[in-house]
Amino acid sequence: MLVFIAKRLLWMIPSLFAVSFLAFVLIQLPPGDYVTTYIATLAASNEIVDQNTAAQLRERFGLGDPMLVQYFKWIWGILSRGDFGISFEWQQPVSDLIWERMALTLVLALSTLIATWAIALPIGVYSAVRKYSIGDYFFTAFTFFGLAVPSFLLALVLMYVAAVEFGQDVGGLFSPEYENAAWSFAKMGDLFSHLWLPVIILAVSSTASLIRVMRANMLDELPKPYVTTARAKGLSEFRLLMKYPMMIALNPFISTIAWLLPNLISGSVVVAIVLNLPTAAPLLLQALMAQDMYLAGAFVLLICALTLIGSLISDILLALVDPRIRLE
Amino acid sequence: MPNEILSRGVTRRTVLGGMAGVAALSIAGRVSAAAGGEAPALAQLVKDGKLPPLAERLPKKPMVVNPFEKVGTYGGSLRRGLRGSSDHNGILRMVGNQSLVRWNLEFTAVEPNLAERWEVSDDATQFTFHLIEGVRWSDGHPFTADDVVFAIEDCVKNTELYSSTPAQLAVAGKPVTVEKVDDYTVKFTFAAANALYLENLATPLGQHPTLFPKHYCSQFLPKYNPNIEADAKKAGVTSWTELFRSRCGDIEIPSRWGNVDKPTLDPWVVKEPYAGGATRVVMTRNPYFWQVDTEGNQLPYIDEINFGISQDVESLMLNVISGKIDIQERHISVLANKPTLSKNMEKGDYRLLTLVPSASQQCQIYFNITHKDPAMRKMFADKSFRQALSIGINRPELIDIVYFGQSEPYQAGPRPTHPWYNEKYARQFTEFDADKAGAMLDEAGYKKGGDGFRLRPDGQKVFFSIDVIPTLYPDLVDALELVKTHWAQIGIDMKVNTIERALYYTRGDDNAHDAQVWPGPGGLDPMLDPRDFFAFHPQGSRYAIPWTLWYTSNGARGEEPPESQKKRMKLFDEARSTADLDKRGAIMKQIFDIAAEEFETVGLCLAVGGFGIIRNNLRNVPEKEPDSWSWPNPGPALPQQFTFTS
Repeated sequence: MLVFIAKRLLWMIPSLFAVSFLAFVLIQLPPGDYVTTYIATLAASNEIVDQNTAAQLRERFGLGDPMLVQYFKWIWGILSRGDFGISFEWQQPVSDLIWERMALTLVLALSTLIATWAIALPIGVYSAVRKYSIGDYFFTAFTFFGLAVPSFLLALVLMYVAAVEFGQDVGGLFSPEYENAAWSFAKMGDLFSHLWLPVIILAVSSTASLIRVMRANMLDELPKPYVTTARAKGLSEFRLLMKYPMMIALNPFISTIAWLLPNLISGSVVVAIVLNLPTAAPLLLQALMAQDMYLAGAFVLLICALTLIGSLISDILLALVDPRIRLE
Repeated sequence: MPNEILSRGVTRRTVLGGMAGVAALSIAGRVSAAAGGEAPALAQLVKDGKLPPLAERLPKKPMVVNPFEKVGTYGGSLRRGLRGSSDHNGILRMVGNQSLVRWNLEFTAVEPNLAERWEVSDDATQFTFHLIEGVRWSDGHPFTADDVVFAIEDCVKNTELYSSTPAQLAVAGKPVTVEKVDDYTVKFTFAAANALYLENLATPLGQHPTLFPKHYCSQFLPKYNPNIEADAKKAGVTSWTELFRSRCGDIEIPSRWGNVDKPTLDPWVVKEPYAGGATRVVMTRNPYFWQVDTEGNQLPYIDEINFGISQDVESLMLNVISGKIDIQERHISVLANKPTLSKNMEKGDYRLLTLVPSASQQCQIYFNITHKDPAMRKMFADKSFRQALSIGINRPELIDIVYFGQSEPYQAGPRPTHPWYNEKYARQFTEFDADKAGAMLDEAGYKKGGDGFRLRPDGQKVFFSIDVIPTLYPDLVDALELVKTHWAQIGIDMKVNTIERALYYTRGDDNAHDAQVWPGPGGLDPMLDPRDFFAFHPQGSRYAIPWTLWYTSNGARGEEPPESQKKRMKLFDEARSTADLDKRGAIMKQIFDIAAEEFETVGLCLAVGGFGIIRNNLRNVPEKEPDSWSWPNPGPALPQQFTFTS
């Protein structure tokens, strides 16, 4: 097991290099560069950038260098001194910008994950055991509805209702008084009192598909001989369900942990923008649109690292949970 | 001639004509600072001994601002919205317009600001500014001639910091020289006449002289701080220039609002900075602000400005209609939002703010007369081809459908209310006549082919694409789609090429476009942005980018333009150095006559006004103001005298 983990960790290094290079190339692919976009953004409000200033910005950011040179300068900075470069737009070190955002993103992602599983698992088991019951139909209908409604629309509708009908503060993860405050228990409490809305919105769509997966897996397992045997030996129905079919049915859940993290970040972009959440997603999108490549590159790199770590975790968990899987 | 903004008994003509006179005037109506009041919070600080008394913070003769409606009361927090990215100018427009001079409300004349008066030499090369005595930076340090000299001589003219001097501060390729005459007098000397300098100084790009406090920013320059490279390394940046920019900012970069320590002359100073990932920006009153109202009360009235940062314009709209924004026009002022905003006036408890566009044209079509393909170039350069296409557009239909009837057919040039308005330039070839257009095209050699579309003399089908940025100007896409149907009727095949904005710019820069559209500026400020009148702007005069390069590089790059362009370039240079406004007008009118004759751009309709909202309890806000970058609304309406009624 340890050898396996060590091997996997070693493999992550070249993967990260490949991914970071690809990300860098992709960010550079659109025509123009940061300065073009900067001028275009200002021109959108009919604001004019001094022509000399524009030329000078290009020179200062080294945008004239060939892409490979720019890439190696960047990656060398990260490797040698943990320096992710400077965000063009903000004139701030990238590392100042990303960590708090990434932390809030993880909080949101994990909360959503827990909420999704807490809803999907019991309902999935229930509708498999009570197949074609009224409850099964009810949940099925409900979850299809959840799957069909785009989450940004749900967010907009909920925001509209909250803002216009109830005069509530909507958007953001903190009340104004906590927004820039230092971390404290009160701030944590404030965070959780705001977190439920985005969590519900994000959980709705993924819950639906997970319920179907769980139901199908359980239905596969339930008629198997070992279940009948266990039942014949007098095991209580609940223990029986939990001990064997449920464990096996969990397999797809665990093996998708790797995608969950990046999915929750990229899948929540629109919702995060609509709800004005201070997570990584809006900043990443902004950075991509502004071609602020070091900032965008750092985010993409981190998300890729999360994916790799996630897939390692799911492999380890699978080995622990599913007796059929062996690492050797 | 009625003024589109606010006439207030002064016609545009007299103000424009009286420019030289204004220069000689000093600030009217001064009162003693001792009579004045201050914000309760500041009074408390004075009482606690944490702040010097008001009389020591204000200049002896502070600048008096005449409140728009009434003398206000202190207090309140003003809420406004910013977008997540590159929206620093949203802050600049609200607080950062404290230049040596400023625009008046009507956008017709330059008024004293930090300079209480000035003299201009007859040949318009020397400008002597007399600063208000006793103005202090927001940290209490005096603002003097040394600061102005430092800002220009040490900062802006430092070639490591600015590899080339900003355009405003250089004439004939040479940067300005700034000398200190005495503590409160500075003299600017240009290498050649620069008659427009005062107007330029009143625009946002004219803020350099008052941007860098010497006592603070000098610590980031090698000349004053030999250890600067080490300091830069310690701060985690690669060079001292980066450190300078992140600490002292520049006119138009986000980091100008990212440092809470930098002293300013603005009415409000940064408390929570505009930095990457910020969810709001908070600015708090400057206890040393140097303006008072007519009763001697120190401005600003409002304690705090709170800029919420929305990632999405829809959520900004939601905040507006639920009454959570006090004044906003930025980002929401598109015509499509007007019904929603009008409908919710009562619910949001706000009134509408009318913006008078300073632009001339809502949608200017720039055919690329310098196209790389010789056949296309020949076609676009054919004046009768462009004229035929212009009269082939059904403008009344377009205005009804796309602009809700709120415009009129227009080509280019100053707006109808401007003294330099040119009827021919503005209205020629705007009447819709498909038959005549067809006949003109026939005569120009573009005969119809079998499929009803026309062929070029070389046998190729007449086809071109017009680039437009849908995310930026959705209305222009709609307008072009209509134009496409109009042109199909006269046998012209056009493609509406919707592209991303960086690609749009790159295509323009590479001279790789057939045609592009953009709103045409120069309606109220024809001298400041004449890009439609001749090949002036290297990115904006999209009908002939190579000619603009020739002009801006003094013939070193680009492509030599035809005689009529060269003549206009010469005339404009002449106008720029003519101090006398009547003479300048006469020169500009010649430019408009030539431009009308050449008919290089095809306009659709007069630029449509935007609008915004003002909460009903926010007073002293003019309900009609120019919408312009040169008049960075709402700044020149002086937000420091905005006030809340309970």
